[in-house]
Amino acid sequence: MASNSSSKLPRRWHLFDIAERNAAALWPKTMHRYSGYLLLVPAILLVFVLVLGLVYIGGYSLHELDLATYRLKETFSLTNYSAALTSTTYQSVVLRSIGASILVTFFTLLLAFPYAYLMVRARQAATKKFLLISLFLPFFIGQIVRAYGWLIILGQEGLINTLFAGLGLPAMDLIYNYPAVILGLVQYMLPFAVLLLAPAITAIGRDVELASESLGANWMRTFLHVVLPMAKPGLVGSSVVVFTLTLTDFAMPEILGGGTTDFIANAIYDGFFQLSNSGLGSALAMILVTLGTAFVVILFFLAGTGTLGFNGREQ
Amino acid sequence: MIKPVTQTSPLVELSNVSKRFGKVTAVDNANFSLSQGSVLTILGPSGCGKTTLLRMIAGFESPTTGNIRINGQPVQAVPPYKRSIGMVFQNLALFPHMTAGENIAYPLKMRRFSPQDIPGLVERYLDIVRLSGMGERRIQQLSGGQQQRVAIARALSFNPDLLLLDEPLSALDKKLREEMQLEFRRIQQQLGVTTINVTHDQREALVMSDEIIVMSEGAIQQIADPVSLYRQPSNRFVASFIGLTSLIRGTVEDAREGKITFRTTHTTLQGQASERFRFGETVEGAIRAEQVRISTDIKGAEGMDNILDGVVEQQIFEGDRMVYQISCPALGTAPLFVFDHDPSHHTPHAQGDRVVVSWKVRDLLVYPCQKYRVSNP
Repeated sequence: MASNSSSKLPRRWHLFDIAERNAAALWPKTMHRYSGYLLLVPAILLVFVLVLGLVYIGGYSLHELDLATYRLKETFSLTNYSAALTSTTYQSVVLRSIGASILVTFFTLLLAFPYAYLMVRARQAATKKFLLISLFLPFFIGQIVRAYGWLIILGQEGLINTLFAGLGLPAMDLIYNYPAVILGLVQYMLPFAVLLLAPAITAIGRDVELASESLGANWMRTFLHVVLPMAKPGLVGSSVVVFTLTLTDFAMPEILGGGTTDFIANAIYDGFFQLSNSGLGSALAMILVTLGTAFVVILFFLAGTGTLGFNGREQ
Repeated sequence: MIKPVTQTSPLVELSNVSKRFGKVTAVDNANFSLSQGSVLTILGPSGCGKTTLLRMIAGFESPTTGNIRINGQPVQAVPPYKRSIGMVFQNLALFPHMTAGENIAYPLKMRRFSPQDIPGLVERYLDIVRLSGMGERRIQQLSGGQQQRVAIARALSFNPDLLLLDEPLSALDKKLREEMQLEFRRIQQQLGVTTINVTHDQREALVMSDEIIVMSEGAIQQIADPVSLYRQPSNRFVASFIGLTSLIRGTVEDAREGKITFRTTHTTLQGQASERFRFGETVEGAIRAEQVRISTDIKGAEGMDNILDGVVEQQIFEGDRMVYQISCPALGTAPLFVFDHDPSHHTPHAQGDRVVVSWKVRDLLVYPCQKYRVSNP
């Protein structure tokens, strides 16, 4: 009778019992009051590795390359920074990266907002599912393959130019230029932005929109006066993620830009592996980190921390 | 176009309104009208279709069949933002990114009131809901009751023809809820705004309304003023939904009009009915807990018509009264509920005590037993 009733308990519970017994051997009772600190382990791993890498790179950046030995000199100097900041090539790379980040963030949010809104508000479960699956599918494909996908569509003998030839139109240069890189990046960033916007839109609640309507606002004014301001945390969160991912992107400018539209990451790569100048590459890396950090700090200062917030107060 | 509005023309009129979601009928053939200045409460258990009815009037849903007229005009093609309706939502749906004053100014701005009038109107409505000087507060800085008041002011500031309340009080604790019921009543009377209130709280319905519609399973069961609704429920559902009512099942033995004699498990009872019954028909008698007298012996039942022996199953102390649950062998398993307001505290009947229960014929209301769907007139 007793065994009968206990066998009706979920099997999971027995597994937990076994796990608990073994846990006691690994982590004795006397250690229990320190259990909370265990949760810090992933954060420490992340920050430790990051800080360690940054310290080393910061160190490299302060040593000039000795062209006689192709090693970094022992003496400290800011030569790498002055070289990076005074060179017109690097100046245009930095400006191009920042410009692209602004454009990509703008266009991504423009496209992501309706997507996220529809996904959250769709009444039919089928529509919701379709939008969700479409959102996650690109994650399985990866950036390089998707960039090549664009080559197939936009290339000299790609789909669009074949279509143009069929219509008797001249072939156009659709790749290896700035717009192609922006296009590729926007498509790549879209799912990230949607994922960060969706919870913010979910939090708005349908009744608030209905209230606005009953108070005399059509949907356009409801969107501008209620939905957009209330979605601010999501907009801030996705801006930060899209902006910084674009600023540090390597693959899209490399493949779709074809060397014509290098971003900072491409310049860093060249510094390390083409010029074998790890000092210059490190200096460029430090500039990139500084730029990204400055943007995030300014945005947080102006608009709050959004969905990435540290406190529950932000709405 | 001038629309003729006379004293008699109703402000809101629903004719044969039904709403189906797929196979589910949320509202089944609703008919009623509401005159200028009155307060109507739609009362029913959750899922009875009352909120759907309200949302159709607001314009958030459109009826599958039937017509809704406001001020005599059909409103099917009129979107919510063009209807002159203020609504207070269940969760209030205040705008958290605006201050209390901005919330109240929002409909004025959206409805293009002249900008120099807006601050004055905001002040006036803050005053009406007794929040003077709090216009600058953020919504999160206000208490639950204060947020209620902002939501009311926001729904009224543009002087709508109609105010809709979608159970806005249901989330409040009892004391605050009762306070806000009186506030609603006061504001409604001060402004004279026609109001439709939706609730599952019978006390709220009785306190706040000029007229009550009771709904169950999408159908309107009864439309009446609070007193008639309580004293003359038109069917078994209404009788049992409002007040604490005991139901006694039996078969008709004698069915002279008005006075019905029916046989229960071990006895015959007499009750009052407003409709005709056939011999042998199954009926249910409904008796309110406050109409039953409880006494220790037969002497206490003097002047009553139906007198039964019973045993106290349970007694519940509610402060101002005792609620007894009595089992009467003559009635089978059906429990009988009795209120005993005993200001002198000297006759508490204990669990297991033998008691006598009694009531008057006119207080036992007899209804047909089958599940009841009413198409109201």
